[in-house]
Order: sequence, then structure tokens, then C-alpha cells
Amino acid sequence: MNSQISSLASVLSFHHFSMATNTINLSALYTSTSLRVLSSNSPQNAPSLSFYSHFKPSVQLPSISYKPYGNTIRHSSLFVVTAVKTLSETELVDVPLTAEEFNSKFPSETGVYAVYDKNLELQFVGISRNIAASVIAHLKSVPELCSSVKVGVVDEPDRAALTQAWKSWMEEHIQATGKVPPGNESGNTSWVRQPPKKKKPDLRLTPGRNVQLTVPLDELIDKLVKENKVVAFIKGSRSAPMCGFSQRVVGILESEGIDYESVDVLDEEYNYGLRETLKKYSNWPTFPQIFVNGELVGGCDILSSMYEKGCSISSI
Amino acid sequence: MASRGANALLSRAIRMETKLKSALEAAVLEIEDVSHQHAGHAAVKGNTAGETHFNVKIVSPKFDGQNLVKRHRMVYEALADELQSGLHALSIVAKTPQEAGLNMLR
Repeated sequence: MNSQISSLASVLSFHHFSMATNTINLSALYTSTSLRVLSSNSPQNAPSLSFYSHFKPSVQLPSISYKPYGNTIRHSSLFVVTAVKTLSETELVDVPLTAEEFNSKFPSETGVYAVYDKNLELQFVGISRNIAASVIAHLKSVPELCSSVKVGVVDEPDRAALTQAWKSWMEEHIQATGKVPPGNESGNTSWVRQPPKKKKPDLRLTPGRNVQLTVPLDELIDKLVKENKVVAFIKGSRSAPMCGFSQRVVGILESEGIDYESVDVLDEEYNYGLRETLKKYSNWPTFPQIFVNGELVGGCDILSSMYEKGCSISSI
Repeated sequence: MASRGANALLSRAIRMETKLKSALEAAVLEIEDVSHQHAGHAAVKGNTAGETHFNVKIVSPKFDGQNLVKRHRMVYEALADELQSGLHALSIVAKTPQEAGLNMLR
């Protein structure tokens, strides 16, 4: 069940998991990194930090964003005690009609909340840094589905604790009903705030690592690059590239307003084996790789030089 | 044995220089190790030896008539062994002597 929930968490959308969350996480992260830098005699043990030890005045800061989220979350989750009550124990509060009533009934605090329609069907479970504001926002966008709300305030609202609270409610609901709340299903956009600039999802080459392919991977690559005008094979997702070169490629393609497809070569689940197969397919040993009309245009250097020379990439 | 040991001690940058000079008859060759800029890079984690990322500026008459993809491939081919053994990424500037504004001496 747990693994089902955690895969759910990656598929389903969190509501209002906004920049505020990230900021808090990052500041915590900076504190811990500087501590680790001070205490670590061997920067090689902390590869994401060893950059500092090489710091010279003449060295430019690389534009790579380090995101060792995984460690931070795992680390802090050791201290997480789920503070919220179970979903069934939590009191159902009718959504009031006036603003004054609203603020007295709902906390402007961080936590998890569940929205029910007039038939007491659970519609959506969300997390928010300001539960009252989130409920008001839902009331405006989907008034017909917001009849009553359950609220669980999380006392130490780090990301892990919030996720934990959200998961426990989702898990409880799924266990009880066998259903995902409709607002949490992927593709449902009426509850989740859309990112300001809608990004395409990264393409996946296979249905999953453990699924036997009926078509060899190189044929899938061939099909993909020929059926799409511009394809960028990058490290990380297009919304969060994991390497400076991939980041630059995404930046150039976006600033040119090019409609392109992206494939994350680091995705070991859905693009398993892609890196080695693609290197052979394209006769090109590094990433990122950009294809236009089925032809390899090159990596970051070539794309950058075309961009600087003012070549229109889409006109190739 | 001795030569093998010596070879292992040679830095990758020096090996790259030798290989590019001989394979591509480089007229100008600048190799800069920028591995430190990529030290937290997911793919390099665990590789403590460094020498994973380089900037290469190379001027070769062999690039004449070749497009950028082919030029980069020629560089990669010359360094195939290095790419197999931990060289992770190159930033390549590949020019012909003419493009680089060099007077051909030959």
C-alpha cells in the first residue's frame, strides 16, 4: 500500500506546493551545507559541495543548480511525527458563505485539507501554506464542489511532514473507498494551480523498466526523432534540468519559442538503457543531444553557437 | 611495466593533447580542465579522480569542409578511450585554420 501511495504522490498533483515550500527547504539546506563544509575535511565525500573547495576568485559561479533534495527529505523525515488526525477522525466543517465567518472557521496556517461536495463525496486532498486562502481559491474556481472541508494543521510544516500528512489522508481514503479523489487524479486541472507557463511533459520512451519491449529501443528512438520536429535528449526534466549544458539547451529552445519535445536520459524508470543506446544510435558520446527532423544537430556547444550566430534553429 | 605506470600517472589532459594533436594535426590546441565546475554533478558523483569535464579549443585543417557535428564527432572519436574511462563531457570549439584566421604555413 505504501508503495502504491508513494507512486501516487509522484503522479498526483499537490495543491499549493508553492515556492514558499521550496524557499524554506532551501534555506534549511544552505544551513546544513555550510555546516558540512566546515566540518568536512574531505570535500570529495560531499560531491555536491566540493565546488566550494575549488573556489577561486577568477572562477565563475557555474549556472548549475544543485538540488540534493533527496537527502534533505530523508534526513528530516527521521524527525517527522505525523501530527494530524486521521481523515475519519477529523471534523467536517461546512464552508461558510461570508468572509468573516470563513476566517474564524479556517486557519491561515500550513497543513493538509480535504474538500467534500454536498453529497459528502471527497473531491480533493491538498496541502497548503495557508489553508484558508486555498479553500477560498477553490470556492471561487469550483464552488459547486466545495461544500465542506476537513482541516489538519501540521505543526512543524516542513515538506516531509506535509507530504506525510497528505499521504496518510490519501491512503486512508483510498483504503476506505478504493478511489482516488477526483481532484487529485492526474489531468484534473480544476483544483491544482497551473504553473504560470505550462510546460510540456517530458516524453518517455518505454512504459516502464520492467515491461518487455516489443520494439528495440533504438527503433523507438528513431521513431521519436523522426516523428517530432525538434527533440532534446537532456539530463533531468525540462522543468528542472540536472546539468548546466542541458539547462542551457532548454533555455535556448525556450527563448527561441521552439515547440520541442524533451526526453530525460536520466529517467531510469521510463527511459532505462537510453543513454547507451542513444550514444550508439547518434554516434555521439555525450548529452544533451538535439535532433531536428530526425537529424542530430549536436550538443550544447553547437546549439549555442547556432543561437549566437542567429541561425534560426527551427528553420533547419 | 614502467611505461604503463607512467602512462597511468599522466593526466588526462596530457593524454588528450597527445591524441588530438596526432589524430587531427591540430594547429592550435587549448585544453582546460573545468571538472571543478561540475563537481556536484549527479553523473560525476563517486568519481573522485576529477578530470571529467574539459573545454577544448582546437584548430585543425581536417575540419575543412566538415560541418560542426562531423567536427565534434572527429574530436570525440580521437578521445574515444578517454570517454570510455571517465571523461564525461567536452565543450568543443572546432575551427579550420581559415576560420581561426591563421595563415597557413604550408
